[in-house]
Amino acid sequence: MNRSYLFIPGNSPAMVQTLDVFESDAVILDLEDSVDVRDKDAALELIHQFLRRLRPHNIEIYVRLNDLETTLKEEVKRLNNTDINGYVIPKATHHLINEVEALTDKPLIALIESPRSVLNALEIADCKSVIGIILGGEDLSTSLGANRTKEGLELFTARQLVVLAARASNIEAIDTPFTDPIDELGLMQDCQTAKGFGFTGKTAIHPNQIEAINQTFVPSKEAINDALRIVIKAKTATKGAFSLDGKMIDKPIIERAKSLLKLAQNYGLYGGDDLE
Amino acid sequence: MGFMVVMTLNKKLSSLDEFFDIINIHNYKNISFHHHLRNGDKVINRVLSYYEKNEVKNIHLHPSSIFPSYTAIIPLLEKGQITDITTSYMNGPVSDYISSKGLVGQLIMTSHGLRARAILDGEELIDIAYIAVPKVNLKGDGIGSSGQSKCGSLGYAVADSIKAKIVVVITDNLVDEIIENPEINGDNVDYIIEVESIGDNEGIVSGTTKLTTNPIGVRIAHNTAKALASLSVLREGFSYQSGAGGISLKVTDYLKKHMIKNNIKASFFSGGITKYHVEMLEAGLVEKLYDVQCFDLDAIESIYKNEKHFAISASKYANPVNEDRVIKDLDIVILGATEIDVDFNVNVTTDSFNNIIGGSGGHSDVAEEAKVTVIVSPLIKGRIPIIRDRVTTITTPGKDVDIFVTERGLAINPKRTDLIEQLSKTSLTIKPIEVLQKEAYQFTGVPNETNHFGKPIGKVMSRWYTKNDTLFMKVG
Repeated sequence: MNRSYLFIPGNSPAMVQTLDVFESDAVILDLEDSVDVRDKDAALELIHQFLRRLRPHNIEIYVRLNDLETTLKEEVKRLNNTDINGYVIPKATHHLINEVEALTDKPLIALIESPRSVLNALEIADCKSVIGIILGGEDLSTSLGANRTKEGLELFTARQLVVLAARASNIEAIDTPFTDPIDELGLMQDCQTAKGFGFTGKTAIHPNQIEAINQTFVPSKEAINDALRIVIKAKTATKGAFSLDGKMIDKPIIERAKSLLKLAQNYGLYGGDDLE
Repeated sequence: MGFMVVMTLNKKLSSLDEFFDIINIHNYKNISFHHHLRNGDKVINRVLSYYEKNEVKNIHLHPSSIFPSYTAIIPLLEKGQITDITTSYMNGPVSDYISSKGLVGQLIMTSHGLRARAILDGEELIDIAYIAVPKVNLKGDGIGSSGQSKCGSLGYAVADSIKAKIVVVITDNLVDEIIENPEINGDNVDYIIEVESIGDNEGIVSGTTKLTTNPIGVRIAHNTAKALASLSVLREGFSYQSGAGGISLKVTDYLKKHMIKNNIKASFFSGGITKYHVEMLEAGLVEKLYDVQCFDLDAIESIYKNEKHFAISASKYANPVNEDRVIKDLDIVILGATEIDVDFNVNVTTDSFNNIIGGSGGHSDVAEEAKVTVIVSPLIKGRIPIIRDRVTTITTPGKDVDIFVTERGLAINPKRTDLIEQLSKTSLTIKPIEVLQKEAYQFTGVPNETNHFGKPIGKVMSRWYTKNDTLFMKVG
């Protein structure tokens, strides 16, 4: 599970060569919206050569493809033999995912960015190769005829549906990027909002956003301490449910505490001693 | 500030022409200027055009720095009238010319500390110091932080004003009042010349005083700040200096947040001062600013009004034999590099093709004295790897450099076992400098070494009068 996914334009050698220095858990090399149509062939060549010769091994790398009507097939054919972690499929539909699955065995992350895809998010999330879904807030807002705001009220329902679908399919729920790269406070608030909805991570459009995202999508010290107390008490409890600090603790809460400690362990925030 | 009638010898002249009528400038070949007006300086070009017109020969020019706008130097080079130049920094058309064609004599690149020392020692003789001063009274007392052409500290002009045979103050703001704590002491001034304007405000303040937002720069600053926060030297009462480059300023910004969070206060910041340093002074995060040059308008305003913001001379700043020099107590300095080599030698004087693009300024002074000298730079600049087997020109010797911070981690000078021990306990990525070099080569390939066999044109001096390196004419 990744906290952060950094978009990197596939036609920028300077950015591609430094993709591993920003402490993003994963990067998405982009062949789609950030690359002008005249540069798409050069971008594919750059990414292919980079992955063949210089792929760093301390980071997950995904590639966002173009659509089936243009260059998707050529891109998959070129990149299938490289050591990438998977593809990001823009404007994903159930049908499109199935078509891409016929072209590759690599894991897929579906970009949900139309009203219909939001409503069909569970169907997309259930596809066998899909390991995560990203909410694409910009395109979705445009389709909705809604103004994209920093507060994100226009995405309220979509965020809930995407998280519900991802959680139901036990895959990653990845939030839309915050598009103002210099508004640090706005980014922090947007990260907290996404975490509150239940997203497991968030996309970034600028490397300077990674630190805030990574800090948000890990359990806080207080949450780790609370979870530890729950797990420790559960070991000695003689009943399925018990009281702690006046609150009733039962199986779902114990499981959630264990999940949180597992996540904290993954990010080196907790040693894992009390997790069985 | 009270008004007064200044009782003085009549030093005031109505124009530069009048001065040149009185003084036979053919007899005074060592002439100096300061660079505090930077690209807005209107004095140096005007004075030198007179030297050109009057065909003065064998001039030895001693500017504290040479900026791109100092174009009047070029015809004097072309005609061979200027034979030698001694300075601490140069870029722009003059450095391009000298890199390509050299001088009749030689180019001597000093540090700011050495320049002050050499002038005060009498090793660097100045016959006439032409000193542009934004506010002067009839006695000749002057400061830089007031007036229409205010530039802040006049630190680099003070030694010249003390030791030059003839001291000429040029101003566009002659006042009849007492000037408290003058940087230029009127007792040393021989002539005051009033002109319409000594500077263009647009060019006086530097355009570089902005925090970097470049992701690589931010990453380097982040790594640097994390390293500093782990050092024992970063404690209550520490002292600090950073350049005005975007990465250095971003480090300062991170440091500010760390100081607030951990309730740490600094004793002083020194060197070139920017609005970011001023904000920290005003927030009570640092007790004093020792300012040898102001980089922006906020710094200029602050030095005028804030009694804890001190203008200091280059000698007080960095003269190695001045017992009161500020940097002898400096804990941490953040500096840049054009090149660094596997022995930690740093070049900020030339590019890899022997083009002169800068100079020490205070680089080698503070690197030698600070307890921890940190160099910050991207591993690759414009497709050129910054770590070389041997730098093109040694500005600052590797013995004075402690930590090199890049976006891909840190290299620590092996002689600093104390720093290695302190930083190896952190989550920072620490690698031998040779490993960082190889990582850069993965992307760039191994560059061909520069051919050093162009004609020698000068030398880079240490602050102890020894030669750090030879400067060569560029090849090709």
